[in-house]
Amino acid sequence: MDNRNQTYHELFTKPIIRTGKWTVLLAAGLSFLPPLYLWFRYGALPPVKNILTAWFLIVSVYGSYYFIEPISYFPVLGVSGTYMSFLSGNIGNMRVPCAAVAQEALKVEPGSKKAELVATLGIAGSIITNVIVVTIAAIAGNSIMQILPPVVIKAFDYVLPSIFGSMFAMFAVKYPKYGAFAIGLTLFLLGVVKVLPVYVLIPVCVFSTIAFATRSYKKGKVANKEEQPATK
Amino acid sequence: MKEYLKIANDPILWLMCLPVIIVVAIQAIIFSKKAFQAASSVELTKKEAKTAFRIGAVSAIGPAVAVFVVMLGMMAVVGGPMTWLRLSIIGAAPTELAASTMGATAMGVEFGGEDYGVLEYANSVWTMTLNGIGWLVFVGLFTHKLEGLRNKISKGDSKLTGEIGGAATLGAMAYLVGGHLLAGGAKLVAALVAGGGMILLVKLSEKYPKLGEYNLGLAMVMGMVAGVIVG
Repeated sequence: MDNRNQTYHELFTKPIIRTGKWTVLLAAGLSFLPPLYLWFRYGALPPVKNILTAWFLIVSVYGSYYFIEPISYFPVLGVSGTYMSFLSGNIGNMRVPCAAVAQEALKVEPGSKKAELVATLGIAGSIITNVIVVTIAAIAGNSIMQILPPVVIKAFDYVLPSIFGSMFAMFAVKYPKYGAFAIGLTLFLLGVVKVLPVYVLIPVCVFSTIAFATRSYKKGKVANKEEQPATK
Repeated sequence: MKEYLKIANDPILWLMCLPVIIVVAIQAIIFSKKAFQAASSVELTKKEAKTAFRIGAVSAIGPAVAVFVVMLGMMAVVGGPMTWLRLSIIGAAPTELAASTMGATAMGVEFGGEDYGVLEYANSVWTMTLNGIGWLVFVGLFTHKLEGLRNKISKGDSKLTGEIGGAATLGAMAYLVGGHLLAGGAKLVAALVAGGGMILLVKLSEKYPKLGEYNLGLAMVMGMVAGVIVG
């Protein structure tokens, strides 16, 4: 590791891992306050057997996501992005787009350390907005809903296809080959194969595209090397 | 109002949900500070760093407002405080409602039905909580190990790391948009218009860099308008 890498590691990566660990685990612990409060204040503690049954049921649905999602999104989010995004949620529809738009607007080189810092700041900004909006919604949501015209409420049905469509397009312009591969594979799996569960689909889509990109990148590099002597 | 909803909207329960949300905000602030401190070591100016934060904050408005609408539906069944807590951290409305339903099922009642009382609600809260910590504990304990995995694939070649990041984003977004494309109708139109709009905006913002900060919001509105017109 050269000097600059060392400085960056000391200044950013190390403290991020330290802070990331304690904040995420602390939040996990503090999230038990509401059920404990219901127990102490109202004596509403379900029998342990029922809690465990429900836990078993929900783990059988989402358990595989606990590790598949962080692993699948890691190449997109990096270390700091993973700690932030998996604490605050809304990964595909908010964190990834906000990081990507910030990187695009500042024209940083993908994969560089500068890109990682810009993504960190973009995600942090999006978290602050999210906390504010969710808090307003929790307090004043119902009254705000009543003043919104129905057409606006209907328009919200199209938020997700719009965000995902525009994000896909933004990256497909940069990497058209990978984009074609990813969408071809997805449509084949979703439209033709149909039977794969979601916890298989996400990693298959992400890691097949990574494998495809890595292979064509290495091929491109070899081809460049072979061409170079000829151009001299 | 159903009996359990009075307790589900207990003022003190709001207070019990507050600490986690404070941790979320504190983490974002500490991470931003660290990014500012490290900025000069990678030739990121303070001005650019501020811009990055602002772009993130502005771009999140659209998606956050969409979460807002979903929230209201969830508040009607699990109360304001738990909705506030659960949607500020990992987990989305469908996940949380699934967990609430499992909590009720394990108590032998229907979620939100006649027999769904305080004790059953408490079981839903336990289930949401236990489900949510699955991600948090994994990420808290293992994220730093994932870095090694990535370096192994890219072998420190930062250009390849960039290509891998782009490819991974395309894979994830292709999966996320795929269902909407196959759904056809207005959702297909919204996705296509927003995608086409984004391509135009990216080209335009090469000429007018300031525009780039609003690309996501603008593309999203284009898709939404198209969806409403067709739908």
